[in-house]
Amino acid sequence: MSQEIWAKLHGATVHFPIALVLCSGALDTSGRLFPGPANRWGLHAAGYWTMLLGAAGTVPAVVSGLVLSRGVLLGHDTLRQHHLYAWPAFALIAGLAAWRVLGNGASARRAPAGYLAFVALASVLVAISGYWGGELTLGH
Amino acid sequence: MDTRIVESAVRPRSGRTQATRAIWAFLVAAVALGLAYGLSRGLRRAAARTSHQQETPEDWFEVRVPASPALAAQGRAVYLNSCAHCHAADATGDEGPDLHGLEVSDRYLARVVTRGIKGEMPSFRKKLGEDEIRRLTAYLRSID
Repeated sequence: MSQEIWAKLHGATVHFPIALVLCSGALDTSGRLFPGPANRWGLHAAGYWTMLLGAAGTVPAVVSGLVLSRGVLLGHDTLRQHHLYAWPAFALIAGLAAWRVLGNGASARRAPAGYLAFVALASVLVAISGYWGGELTLGH
Repeated sequence: MDTRIVESAVRPRSGRTQATRAIWAFLVAAVALGLAYGLSRGLRRAAARTSHQQETPEDWFEVRVPASPALAAQGRAVYLNSCAHCHAADATGDEGPDLHGLEVSDRYLARVVTRGIKGEMPSFRKKLGEDEIRRLTAYLRSID
C-alpha cells in the first residue's frame, strides 16, 4: 500500500482518540462540578466509556502512523517534535484507560483530582503532538 | 441514560488497592509502548531491506562520473559525519533505508541530499556543499 494511503489513514484515525480523550476529561470534570448522584454517575459513566474508546482509538492511529513513517520512532525536525509528544500521550492514555477499567465501584463512579490532572496532561500532550502533526502535513 | 451502562461503569470490583491499580495502569502503558516499539523495529527492518528510491528517467541519459578510490574515501568521511547516524555506519540502513545498490542518478542523489524527503529525511542544503555531495556520491557508488 502506498505511503499516501497510510497518510490518509493516519489523518482519518488520529482525530478519534484526540476528540474522545478531550471529551472524557470534560465529562469527568463536569461530573465533579455538578451535584446530584444521577448527574454525576451519568457524566462519569460517559467519561469512562469515552476514555476507553479513546484508548482503543489510539491503536489504529499509532499503527497507521508507524507504517507511514516506516517504523521511525522519533525521526528528525518536525517529525521528532510530533513524536516527542505523541508517545508519552499514547502511554498515558493507555495507562489512564487501564486505571479506569481496574477501578472498583467507589472510585469508578467518581474521577479523583489526580486522575483528572493526568487526563489534562494527556490532553496537553495530544494537543501539542497534534499541532506538530499539522505542521508535518500543512507546514511545508 | 440507560442504567445498565451506568452500572457497568461503576460496578464494584474485587478489592484492588489504589497502589495495585496504579501499578497495573503503569504496566499497561509500558506494554503499549513496548508493542509500538516492536512494530517499529519490524517496520524499520523492512524499510532497511528495500530502498524506496526508484530509478528515475534522468538516470537513463546521465553518464555517471566514475568514482576514484580517493574520492570515495573522502566521501566516506562525509558519510560518517552526516549520514551514518540514520543509515548506519556500513550504509545497510537503520532509521533510514539501505543505501547499497542505489538505482538513481547522481542528480537525483544530490537533490535528495539538498532538499531532504518530507517527513523522512532532513535537508542538508546548509551542511553539505556541492563538492561534499560529489564525494558522498562517489562513496555511495563505491559500495554498490
